[in-house]
Parts: sequence; C-alpha cells; structure tokens
Amino acid sequence: MKRVRDWFANPWGQPRALAVITWTYMAWSIVPVVIAVLFSFNDGRSRSVWQGFSLRWYWGDPSLSVFHDPSMRGALEQSLKLAGFDMLIAVPLGVGLALGLTRWKGYGARPVNFLMLFPLVTPELVMAVSLLLVFVLLYKIPLGTEAQVLGQVTFSISYVVIIVRSRLLSIGPSYEEAARDLGASPVGALRLVLLPLLSPAIFASFIVVFALSIDDFVVTDYLSSNESTQTVPIKIYSGVRGTTTPALNALATVMVVATLAAVALAFLVYRWALRSQPGQQGALKEIAALEA
Amino acid sequence: MSKKTDGAIELVELRKEFGEVAAVDGIDLGIRAGEFFSLLGPSGCGKTTTLRLIAGFERPTAGKILLDGVDMAAVAPHRRKVNTVFQSYALFPHLDVFGNVAFGLRRQHVKREEVRRRVEAVLEAVQLGGYEKRKPAQLSGGQQQRVALARALVLEPSVLLLDEPLGALDAKLRKALQLELKGIQERFGITFVYVTHDQEEALTMSDRIAVMSGGRVEQVAAPAEMYEEPQTVFVADFLGVSNLMHVTAEGADAGACRARLGDFVLRAGNGDAAVSGSTRIVIRPERVRIEPYESMGDNRVPGMIERVVYLGSAEQLVVRLATGDVVQALFVNDGTPREFVQGTPVQVHLPVDALRVLPPPAAAVPEPEAKPLEPASDAAVQLGAG
Repeated sequence: MKRVRDWFANPWGQPRALAVITWTYMAWSIVPVVIAVLFSFNDGRSRSVWQGFSLRWYWGDPSLSVFHDPSMRGALEQSLKLAGFDMLIAVPLGVGLALGLTRWKGYGARPVNFLMLFPLVTPELVMAVSLLLVFVLLYKIPLGTEAQVLGQVTFSISYVVIIVRSRLLSIGPSYEEAARDLGASPVGALRLVLLPLLSPAIFASFIVVFALSIDDFVVTDYLSSNESTQTVPIKIYSGVRGTTTPALNALATVMVVATLAAVALAFLVYRWALRSQPGQQGALKEIAALEA
Repeated sequence: MSKKTDGAIELVELRKEFGEVAAVDGIDLGIRAGEFFSLLGPSGCGKTTTLRLIAGFERPTAGKILLDGVDMAAVAPHRRKVNTVFQSYALFPHLDVFGNVAFGLRRQHVKREEVRRRVEAVLEAVQLGGYEKRKPAQLSGGQQQRVALARALVLEPSVLLLDEPLGALDAKLRKALQLELKGIQERFGITFVYVTHDQEEALTMSDRIAVMSGGRVEQVAAPAEMYEEPQTVFVADFLGVSNLMHVTAEGADAGACRARLGDFVLRAGNGDAAVSGSTRIVIRPERVRIEPYESMGDNRVPGMIERVVYLGSAEQLVVRLATGDVVQALFVNDGTPREFVQGTPVQVHLPVDALRVLPPPAAAVPEPEAKPLEPASDAAVQLGAG
C-alpha cells in the first residue's frame, strides 16, 4: 500500500499525480478525433461499425469520395481559396497596423489599441450578423467569396496585430535607431532590420490566419451565397443532418492534417529563424528540453 | 586612417520637453574637435536625452545643435555625420559581425572590395580580426562592445556618441576597455561625446567633463579642475567624497573667506572669498588632517573619532566635530604607523588652502562662470526664473 502511495505521491520523486491528470485529459480530448479519423478509412458505409481498411472515401469511390464528389471537392477548394486570400490581405495590413500603432504615441492610440481587441471579444455570431447587415444594406457587397474574404480579414487582422505588436515591443526601438544612425533611411531601416527581425512573427501570423480561416464557420456561413461558396466546416455541418458516409470523416481528416501540417511547419520555421536571435535562446532551450 | 580636424559641436540654448517635463532645460555647451568630452550625471539628469538630440533621435523643442558651425537640429539622423555606440549595443542579431560592421558602408554604396578592406582594418583595430563570420549572440559582452564600436568607427564619423557603452560589463573588463577606448579616441582623433553616470570613468578618460543635473549643466571643466574646484554643491557632492558643512560666510578676510561654523571661525582659501550669508564649505577627505587634541592654531576644530574603517590601501576615519558635523578623513596606507582609536578626542585641521567656500544655493544657478558661453547666461537666468 505504501509503495503504491509512494509511486503516486512521493514529494521527492516525479509528480506522477499531475502526469496522470495530464494524460487523462490528453486521452479524453484526442479520442474523438482519432475515432473520426479512423472511420474515414472504413471500407463500408457505416460511421460507427468497423468494416475493414480502405481509401475509398478519399478517392477510391467514383462518386461519393472527397476527390470525386463535386460538392466536397468544391468545399475543400473554397476553404483553401478563402484561406489564401485571407492570408494575403490580413497579414500585410496587420503588420502595417502593428507598426503604426507601436509608433503612435499621441491621443487616440489607446482607444485604437483597445478597439483592436474588439473582434476577439465580440461573440462571433454578433459579428457575423452585423457584418451581414452592413455588407448587404450599407456597402452593397454581393454575398459569396468577396464578402467571405472581407469578413474573415476583418477579424483575422486583430490576431496579426497582436502577434506582430508583441514582437515589436520585445524588439524595442534600438535596432531601428542603430540602423538610422548608420545611414539607413526610415524605409531602409524597416526593410533591412525591422522586417528580418519580425519575420518569425510574420510567419506565425500567416499560419494563425490560415488556421482561423480554415476553421471559421459562423462568419463564413453567414456571408456565403449558395452551395458554390460552401467551405469544409459548412459542408460538414450540413452533412451531419442528411444521409452521411465516411467521406465526411475523410473531409474532416484532410482539414485536421492540413492544420497540423501548418502548425508543424510554423514551429520548424520559427525555430530556424530564431536560432541566432538573443533573448529567444531561453525559450528555444526550453523547447529543446521538451523534445529530448 | 588619418587624424581628423573637424567634429566641433556647439549646443545653443538646447531644450527638449517631454509633455510638461523639460528633460534638457536650455543648455549651452561647446565641445572642441577631437576632444574626449563626457556628460556626467545621475540618472534622469538629461545626459542621454542630450546625446539623443545630437544623434538626431529626438527633435529639440528649441535651440541649436551646431556641427562644425552648421545647424543640424532639423537634419534626419541618417544624414548626420555622427555615429552612436548604444548602451545595449543594438547589434543586428540577424547579421554576422562582418554584416554589422559593413552595414553603414553599404548604405553609402561603397565598393565591395573597399567595404571588405575597411571592415577588416577596423576589426583589426578593435582586436576582433577573424571574428567576421560570428553572430552577435556568439560573442561575449566585451566582444559585442567592440563590434558596436567598430560598426560606428568604420564610417569615420566626425563625432562619436557613446551612451554608457561600458555599463553592461563587469568591473575588470570595464577598466581595460576604458584605457582602450581612450587609446582609440587618440589614434583616430575623433570627437567623443561620452555619457556616463560613473564619475571614475569620466575622470579617467575625459579631456573635459560636463556635470549635469535636472536638465542643466552644473559645471564644465577638466577632470582635475572639476575635482579640485567644484563650483556648486551638487558637483562637490556628486564627484568623489566630500565633507560638506553649513556655515555662515562673513566675506573676505586677507584673501580668504571667513566662515562661521558653530562657535568656530574658519578661513576658506578657495572659492569666491566675498561670499556672505548662509552657504556651505567643502573639503575632500584626503585633505583633512588629524592632530593631537593639544595642538593649537587656526582652522582647527576639536572632535572625537567615531569610527575607524580599514580599506586596505587606505584608512578612513569618521570624526564628529564639536559642532555636531561629521567629517571623513582618508589616510593612504604608506607604511606610517597610525594608532587611531575609536573615542579618542582629536583636533581636526581643515587647512585654509584645502577648504573651499561654495556660492549660496540661490545664486548657484545663474552663476556666469558655470556656463561656458557668454551670451547664454542671460537666457539661462530667464529660463531659471520662468
């Protein structure tokens, strides 16, 4: 009995009690995903009874697989298209805004900084409804891809600004001043010193915007026009109520893999980009220690 | 690299306000070409702001910054022929040592071969030859400091601005680099404007020092003069250890100032002998003489040894005078046997030629001799009154 207690709660040993809680949580949260992914490889039509391994729901089935079903393929394409536009527009705008906000010391800087956080704290449904109203009634923007991109950019920018601004604040003004001192023009200092130092944050922004866009359901759904502008989450959501096949699981799996790949890529590039920057060494060592 | 003859700076009624606060409160300074000039003062005295104004990172609220006679106040920092060594070094972490040092040359579109030649020459001069491919993060603090110096020197500026460049280094390295910096300054003949709060650093390296306080210049002088002849209470107190005593001055008496310290009358041979009224006198600890209690003579005040502190190279005595004032005395450990014992009554001799009378506090600010330039004094009085 004492040995069991010592294994679990020995103050001088490993914190095993915490480890048990952690692993329980990990299992709890990952099991549904694993099951969903597993049934995307099911050979039969069932999403709950295992009938053997196959890839038919990815591309094997000539009409119902993700690859061949036009609505699923369209949803995947629409998702990637929106993510691409969102990244291309939100990241440069967000970087510019972050640079401006960091320099802006006068009146108005504080309220604007606060407003930047607004999209993060507003319930998404409220935001979606209001965007729909102003787009349709005020700006006369046709629903569909344009409206969806604009809507996603609207809330994505906040995340970019927060990521880039925190990096800017930790970089401080001295590198830029040094560049100016050594003869670089304001634009030169930005291009030669600030942007290279910001590159990890900019890269992280791309990935975050990609993940936000791919995952977004509410805003994208409200601003969609018809079947042709459905994205993967919308397709999965509407599919749940109709007759479904494991192709839906396959579609979801593609999303999960895409998001995971993006995050993994972000981690690797971030690590590579920061390998020679001071002040980041500590964080890097921590990550390295975690891996070991 | 040839010696330079330009690089004279003149600050005229320079003023910088941040909101309501005047960080630099109308200062006038003349810095000669090729001079090692230090701005010395406690934190918040305006010395770094003054440096940033010269570099161009801050825009003056009023006044002029003349470099070799040309006003630069409205010139952008990248167009000024001055370079800065930052306290944090601010080496670009994404560039290697070569890239850092070549940065300024590349902005001037210098030819490739010449960039290489000049970078290698300057790295040799700061003893960092062979470190071209290292990243700043792979260098020690002292090496980073040298790269920062090389990065600025390679552009052959008229004036080099240094913002506490040794502040982040340990004491031993700091000492070594002090001498090295001074050597480089003499070899290149560049005007150095050096900001520091470390009085020893300023005394060791400078040709002249400006002591600053509250956004104003208290005194400009060579190190020896600054130490021996402080013009204000602030300078006397800030630079080295000083015994400051409140007295009532009674004007000149045979070339010295009569100063009443409690029941005793002292004569102060330094300072303005004509001062009268409530003011302070100052004497350095190493000039204080301790004599047997029975000894007689002028400028002697009885006291009692309160504390004896052995410092190794010297011995420090804290003596409480009969007037209640506490005086420190310092004796160099030169082998002379001294037997100071706590509680011993002694006579404290404050020699006439070592005792200095300071101007009364109210008069200290507009004192014309504390200002280096003639036309400034009137304006300074007005600013001081406003």
